[in-house]
Amino acid sequence: MALVLYAANTNKNAFKTLIAAEYSSVDVKLIENFEMGVTNKTPEFLKMNPIGKVPVLETPDGAIFESNAIARYVTRLKADNPLYGSSLIEYGHIEQWIDFATLEVDANIMRWFLPRLGFPAYPYIAPAEESAIAALKRALEALNTHLASNTYLVGHSVTLADIVLTCNLTLGYSRVMTKSFTSAFPHVERYFWTMVNQPNFSKVLGEIKQTESVIPIQKKPAQPKELKAKPEPKKEAKKDAPKPEEDDIEEAPKPKAKNSLDLLPPSTMVLDDWKRLYSNTKSNFREVAIKGFWDMYDPEGYSLWFCDYKYNEENMVSFVTMNKVGGFLQRMDLARKYAFGKMLIIGSEPPFKLKGVWLFRGQEIPPFVMEECYDMELFEWTKVDLSDEAQKERVNQMIEDQEPFEGEELLDAKCFK
Amino acid sequence: MALVLYAANTNKNAFKTLIAAEYYGVDVKLIKNFEMGVTNKTSEFLKMNPIGKVTVLETPDGAIFESNAIARYITRLKADNPLYGSSLIEYGHIEQWIDFATLEVDANIMRWFLPRLGFLAFPYIAPAEEFAIVAMKRALEALNTHLALNTYLVGHYVTLANIVLTCILTLGFSRVMTKNFTSAFPHVERYLWTMVNPQNFSKVLGEIK
Repeated sequence: MALVLYAANTNKNAFKTLIAAEYSSVDVKLIENFEMGVTNKTPEFLKMNPIGKVPVLETPDGAIFESNAIARYVTRLKADNPLYGSSLIEYGHIEQWIDFATLEVDANIMRWFLPRLGFPAYPYIAPAEESAIAALKRALEALNTHLASNTYLVGHSVTLADIVLTCNLTLGYSRVMTKSFTSAFPHVERYFWTMVNQPNFSKVLGEIKQTESVIPIQKKPAQPKELKAKPEPKKEAKKDAPKPEEDDIEEAPKPKAKNSLDLLPPSTMVLDDWKRLYSNTKSNFREVAIKGFWDMYDPEGYSLWFCDYKYNEENMVSFVTMNKVGGFLQRMDLARKYAFGKMLIIGSEPPFKLKGVWLFRGQEIPPFVMEECYDMELFEWTKVDLSDEAQKERVNQMIEDQEPFEGEELLDAKCFK
Repeated sequence: MALVLYAANTNKNAFKTLIAAEYYGVDVKLIKNFEMGVTNKTSEFLKMNPIGKVTVLETPDGAIFESNAIARYITRLKADNPLYGSSLIEYGHIEQWIDFATLEVDANIMRWFLPRLGFLAFPYIAPAEEFAIVAMKRALEALNTHLALNTYLVGHYVTLANIVLTCILTLGFSRVMTKNFTSAFPHVERYLWTMVNPQNFSKVLGEIK
């Protein structure tokens, strides 16, 4: 009876097992009509793998999940399988390169690739991508050195380590690792193309093509019009003059040029004047700064917003909560010309509450801020109703970081200016 | 001749191998005076592992890196080692839980823990941490369900999967997972406190808090 493998027919992790099965003459069938997000959410599937991830192998003795574990199991089904080497030390080295391929190669390819797809679970952060690319380069350099004097990873024939590494590299080559990136690792290149052309590999993998460009960063749908217009001419320019990927990544997402807020009718309120007044007022804050604020405030050109953190119950550690706010304000840097904000960390013991008041140019929270600063969605935003004196007074208290605030002590207050 | 393990004496990944070695009497010695950032930058060390990470095992036949690979190698040194189960399907399940422990538990503990240390390579980003914690909870929930009906991960005794998972949870319990957090997973709690007590574990791990 054939063992049944649950995964889509494009899944590189399923390919590991299918290739190992080819080498070992074990009968493994990929299930037909697998639908990601459907098949793997059925109760039968969740019984096989409670976290619902693919691939899963169904055997007469029970199911196995985790792709490397499945590939190992299938390999062991054949006694003394040469895919596991011919000695204990070869076995040890095969396991070493399987784990290296998983934790140093695949993990870093994924840290590069996934954030570009726009999933909320993997936010795109330029410095994190850079460190992923640096770690990937370190791994490929180590591989390159090893493969300079070895045709295969271990011994003189294909082993399970080659299968796992090649499948992992396949995703890298087809999505993020361009020729200009991989050419620094000539022995890895030679190795990869040799491996994918082995009959047992190509039968499963089909034809592999190296990507011509790093997969672009996917934007969420709601995007201000002129930002959308920007990237396109850029892409063309890119084709003419290929640059190292890192540069592209740095440049791509920044909405520098013209901001739609600059096109709003001019306002009588000069944001920098207010920020200066705020910073320079050392005493009589109420009479000088707060009064000054309302004197300058232009309700046509600006709007005020309260924000309230949605997950206050998680703010259990004081310095972590303060760092959270610090990070938020850092990421708001892109709105420096259009915003002023005050964040309060409230309470004398955990859980701490995060609340704040923000002044934004325009009548809405600028879409590019919502877009680029993902912290925004962690807060509830409520527009301040200026006809309500109580709300106005709350604004005053927040700007002034008055203590106690709503009956509680303040742990800290941070200003964005 | 004893095999020599290169790592600091607090390294949870080294503990995997040391505990596996305890179980069936393989002679592994942790190298003395290992200094992280020094010993593992020497050219001798980089010959053993070109990316300079610990742990590395030195054997008369050559060096092996990657902590799970080392633990697997040590386990295979003894023919028919019960740490690898008593049937092929048990072997498959042991590998399954080793990888689960590494990729679903350890990876998420690290996504939670490392950014809090302030390394540049791991910037602290609140929503990213939240997702790590969610993924962590999903993994622990799955474990909790499995352990509700099973004393050990696979079969009726300690296997290599228990050793790997326990070493990983040890770091989680001692650095980020408070009682408040773990109490949602009572079977995982019971499991960990049971596991860290057998002599072969406690000899290596010491007392866990």
